[in-house]
Amino acid sequence: MTEHLLQGKSQEWLLESVADATIIFDRTGRIIFANPPVEQLFGYPRQELVGKSIEALLPEHFRQTHRDRIDDYFAKPSARALSTGIELLGLRQDGSEFPMDVSLSPLRLQQELLTMAMLHDTTPRKQAEDALRESEARLRAIFYTAVDGIVTIDECGLIQRFNPAAERLFGYIETEVIGRNVSILMPAPYQEAHDGYLARYLQSGEKKVIGIGREVVGQRKDGTTFPMDLAVSEMRQGERRMFTGTVRDISERKQAEEQRDCLLQELESANEELKNFAYVVSHDLKAPLRAISSLADWLATDYADKLDDEGKEHLRLLTSRVRRMDGLIDGILQYSRVGRVKEAVVAVNLDRVVREVLDSLAPPASITVSIDNPLPTIMSEPTRIQQVFQNLLSNAIKYMDKPAGEIHVACGAEGRHWKFSISDNGPGIKQQHFEKIFQLFQTLAPRDRVESSGVGLALVKKIVEMYGGQIRVDSTVGQGSTFFFTLPRASVTAISTKGTQA
Amino acid sequence: MKVPNKPILLVEDDQVDIMTVNRALKEIHVTNPVVSRENGEDALHYLQDPESEKPCIILLDLNMPIMNGIEFLQIVKHDGQLKRIPVVVLTTSEEQQDKVSSFNLGVAGYMAKPVDYRQFVEVMRSIDAYWTISEMP
Repeated sequence: MTEHLLQGKSQEWLLESVADATIIFDRTGRIIFANPPVEQLFGYPRQELVGKSIEALLPEHFRQTHRDRIDDYFAKPSARALSTGIELLGLRQDGSEFPMDVSLSPLRLQQELLTMAMLHDTTPRKQAEDALRESEARLRAIFYTAVDGIVTIDECGLIQRFNPAAERLFGYIETEVIGRNVSILMPAPYQEAHDGYLARYLQSGEKKVIGIGREVVGQRKDGTTFPMDLAVSEMRQGERRMFTGTVRDISERKQAEEQRDCLLQELESANEELKNFAYVVSHDLKAPLRAISSLADWLATDYADKLDDEGKEHLRLLTSRVRRMDGLIDGILQYSRVGRVKEAVVAVNLDRVVREVLDSLAPPASITVSIDNPLPTIMSEPTRIQQVFQNLLSNAIKYMDKPAGEIHVACGAEGRHWKFSISDNGPGIKQQHFEKIFQLFQTLAPRDRVESSGVGLALVKKIVEMYGGQIRVDSTVGQGSTFFFTLPRASVTAISTKGTQA
Repeated sequence: MKVPNKPILLVEDDQVDIMTVNRALKEIHVTNPVVSRENGEDALHYLQDPESEKPCIILLDLNMPIMNGIEFLQIVKHDGQLKRIPVVVLTTSEEQQDKVSSFNLGVAGYMAKPVDYRQFVEVMRSIDAYWTISEMP
């Protein structure tokens, strides 16, 4: 049928219709025919080409060798297909060159032997090949220069590739390990188990390491082991599966971690010791103190008629100092209990807390205490939060020196915190003492005038900070002081300390 | 005390504390004899001796050498003969754990020893008043 259709069509028509550039030339290399795609490929009008030497389409440096090849070809003409044919460079009219694939077919016409050449511009294919080559080179560069060891194994666990970093890491060179089971890189018992892991994965598809990564132990050629991070990825090459393991020596990181854990442990035990120390010391100090107190009392009672006024006064001073020391020890106990003894965290209505504290403090009629705005309900340990208000308010009342005392309690939201303030119009505090007053046992008034253990503000600071808040004071001497403290608005729980259960 | 002739067993290692208890009892006119032992073990020997008269009450310190108060309670409260004798803990310890352990072991009371002697007398007065009113098996 094809033949039937083509009947009557000239050969020239056929050649004109071929999509590839087609040139027919004789044994001298003279072009006899060129089809339209040749025009597009080389940029010449094809009439111009007819009669020219085929070499006009080749770059200068190819021409001589090409001449020889043409001669060879005509001496022994045979068809050469595209791709398996010769790769040449073509020369366009504008002087630019391009790679081309050439297929040759001998044409016998009457007594003359001609050659039909089909030319194919291979620029796009070349580009793709170059790109592939480049990406391979890049991958190879990564493989060879990677800081991490890269080991590739097949489905049987046999090593396929082993990069220089892996060589450094394990002490083997690539040629030593290729084809050997990857389990040589692991110590017992993993060594024996690895084939099983692999088999189980291939069977079940259940991923234990692949795509997850984990810390494992590696074994060097010399038998020493080291901790490493292992990440495994899976590749498919047609039917075959490959596994690529990336390994990193984490000895240093491990060591640092161990060191850090060790330090943390020491710190924790030191802290624990300190907490217990405060408790034990104060506890043991109390027993002899009680004895001193009792003995002083009995002396004063039993020898009342034998003591003169000075002796009685000395015994009275002795007793009062014993009481003061008792107060100090109680203060240390109280201070050490914060964070050591934990209470349940519950919703605490601060409005109620402040009112209860004021009830217990019973301020004199000359002092008015006002709560400027409703106080929030927070999640906290009730005793601790009560201690904060109790100490701040009792200080404000205790040190009040004005005939009409005014104390204000206020609260406002500030970012993620509540900001509380307790201000008074009392004597005020010099700026140089702003820091000192929060230290344990620091008081600004002589103890004989105002009985104070010097624990209150230190306790308040410890509680506020334990809850993640801050405390500071602002004051003008003669006009009064304001204590500001913050507490997180989200659930106030003591996270920073570990303590025994109350 | 309800029974004026039975002894009070005081388990206490501090000599001044023993004097304090004796003096306070005398001051509030408690006439029961006071038998004092300086640790749990000695007190146990006294209680287990058939010769000695069983006390009407035991006043127990917690921090003592050899056998402390809690260890003493663990034995006494598991002894069918001794477990009904009321034990009042007299201690400086305000540790919650000590209070919990003591009450778990069935103590009748837990008193903190005040530093002030006058207050101590009041504590003793309360103990006496209570055990004068309370019936005992």
